[in-house]
Amino acid sequence: MIAAGMVPSRRALRVWLRHLVQYRSFYVAEWAGNFGEHVLYLLAFGYGLGRLVPSLNGISYAQFIGPGLVVSIAMWTSTFESTYGAYNRMRVQKTYEAMMSAPLSLGDIVLGDLLWCGTRAIIGATLMMIVLSLFGLIGSLWWALSVLPIIFLVGLMFGSLGLVSAGLAPSFSFFSFHFSLVVMPMFFFAETLFPLRGLPDGLRLFSQTLPLTHAVKIVRGLIIFGRVDDFLFHLFILAGSTLVFMACATISVSRRMMS
Amino acid sequence: MVAELDIHARGLSKSFGALKAVDGITLQVERGECYGMLGPNGAGKTTAIRMIHGAVRPDGGELSVLGRDAAAGSRRIREEMGVVPQEDTLDNELSVYNNMWVFANYFGISRRRSRDRIEELLDFVQLRDKWGEQIKNLSGGMKRRLLIARALIHRPRLLILDEPTTGLDPQARHLVWQRLRELKSGGLTILLTTHYMEEAAQLCDRIGVMAQGRVLVEGPPAELVRERVGEEVIELRGAGREAAAAALNGLGLEIERAGDTLYLYCRSGAKAVERLASAGEREFLRRPASLEDLFLRLTGRELRE
Ligand SMILES: Nc1ncnc2c1ncn2[C@@H]1O[C@H](COP(=O)(O)OP(=O)(O)OP(=O)(O)O)[C@@H](O)[C@H]1O
Ligand SMILES: [Mg+2]
Repeated sequence: MIAAGMVPSRRALRVWLRHLVQYRSFYVAEWAGNFGEHVLYLLAFGYGLGRLVPSLNGISYAQFIGPGLVVSIAMWTSTFESTYGAYNRMRVQKTYEAMMSAPLSLGDIVLGDLLWCGTRAIIGATLMMIVLSLFGLIGSLWWALSVLPIIFLVGLMFGSLGLVSAGLAPSFSFFSFHFSLVVMPMFFFAETLFPLRGLPDGLRLFSQTLPLTHAVKIVRGLIIFGRVDDFLFHLFILAGSTLVFMACATISVSRRMMS
Repeated sequence: MVAELDIHARGLSKSFGALKAVDGITLQVERGECYGMLGPNGAGKTTAIRMIHGAVRPDGGELSVLGRDAAAGSRRIREEMGVVPQEDTLDNELSVYNNMWVFANYFGISRRRSRDRIEELLDFVQLRDKWGEQIKNLSGGMKRRLLIARALIHRPRLLILDEPTTGLDPQARHLVWQRLRELKSGGLTILLTTHYMEEAAQLCDRIGVMAQGRVLVEGPPAELVRERVGEEVIELRGAGREAAAAALNGLGLEIERAGDTLYLYCRSGAKAVERLASAGEREFLRRPASLEDLFLRLTGRELRE
């Protein structure tokens, strides 16, 4: 099953650089758009909805939801990049095929795409954190910076999940399954938007099995309190599942590309 | 003396389901040689070529490219091989110049080191004034030329082109032919497919004609035409063509009928023309035999799927 071409190398950076070159042509517009969007999210959820929510353990709802939004933005950006983006490169534009006529292996291409997903996640999350800090919702700038490696992992993880679907997808419309089965459940139940305490046991258990929950726990702890309970446990789950998904992504893309 | 083989395939096969797209072909391309694959649509040319450059995995057979076993991880091969695929694989999200340097970077050539080479290549295919253009604003023929320039970025030893001039206007086609001849005289080994007989005749030292996954004949184009078709062809298209052909009985000509035309293949047409004249037949065309005759004789004059 594991062929030689599936092992990545440093050459993955050449793929990453291609994505960066492409990104340079549209990032200004994107940043402006995202910035506005983030402010809207925060106003609508944090302050609009937040008025109905009592303070949670002494923090306001806006404070609570800020880190949740940071993590979900990392999830959304890396998902778009690895589903629609990668499918386009794989099947429509034949970018992968061109890369494979150069001395890049499938492993290099997959890893390059994933590194790029991680990079996009960091960019998106950083923009969100800038918005949070403008609203005074960030405890310490240093602790905020320390979440970036976690955000990068989230990018790798959702990039991998997206690539699994991109490898399987017969057409673009397939991704609506990906969003309703993978992304939306995590967006709602990974403790991004509301705390789990007081929810039915089944739902709480379900939430614990979502890898994103562990990312949210770490990021919320760091951003608000500068400390995380059970840090190593959460990190282990996050990193472990990311590795597994990365392997699945490589297999899925290889099956598609190697005929 | 045995020349070195840059491509050596034996019994190479590939099936898609029940369809044998490539059915055990044997192919040898010597260093510095230009080899052309001809064949009707669906003959298996692209599939064969894609196996050779590593985009499709063969079901069977042996394949060595540039002296290396092509089955086991072919990265070293790809470092020394340029590929122009049948379908455009340009990076539509980048400009012409960025396409070139990003591709150079895939080979580990830095942006700075690739700069001169890119200018040289854009000159080579006459696209220098398009360097800042987005790919979607290029015409089809410009894209083909850019694909050729891109395939040369790392100075390959072997160039593989799948229909390099399809969709090109005559000027651009002649430009590409000229460039390919220059590259060949610089020692580059070339494997190409084409539907243009003139292209094969002009560029290729040897051609192979494929149909239904097999190579039917192989050899230098002029020789093949002489051996398999003859020197001259006479085409009869008049209403009395059958009667006229009867007048040629005894000359031992090969006759082929297709639609409204009778083709007579001969070593020399002089005798036949004399007889036709004395039989009063004036509606005929006498011309030298060409690769097109060979192609059509081998693969049939009718379109078939
Ligand atoms: N990925 C594929 N899946 C299924 N069938 C395929 C695939 N690729 C090619 N084929 C089939 O294999 C046969 C050979 O196709 P191929 O593209 O090699 O022909 P070709 O000689 O290059 O034709 P053309 O001159 O039209 O480019 C065709 O019948 C084609 O339908
Ligand atoms: Mg073809």
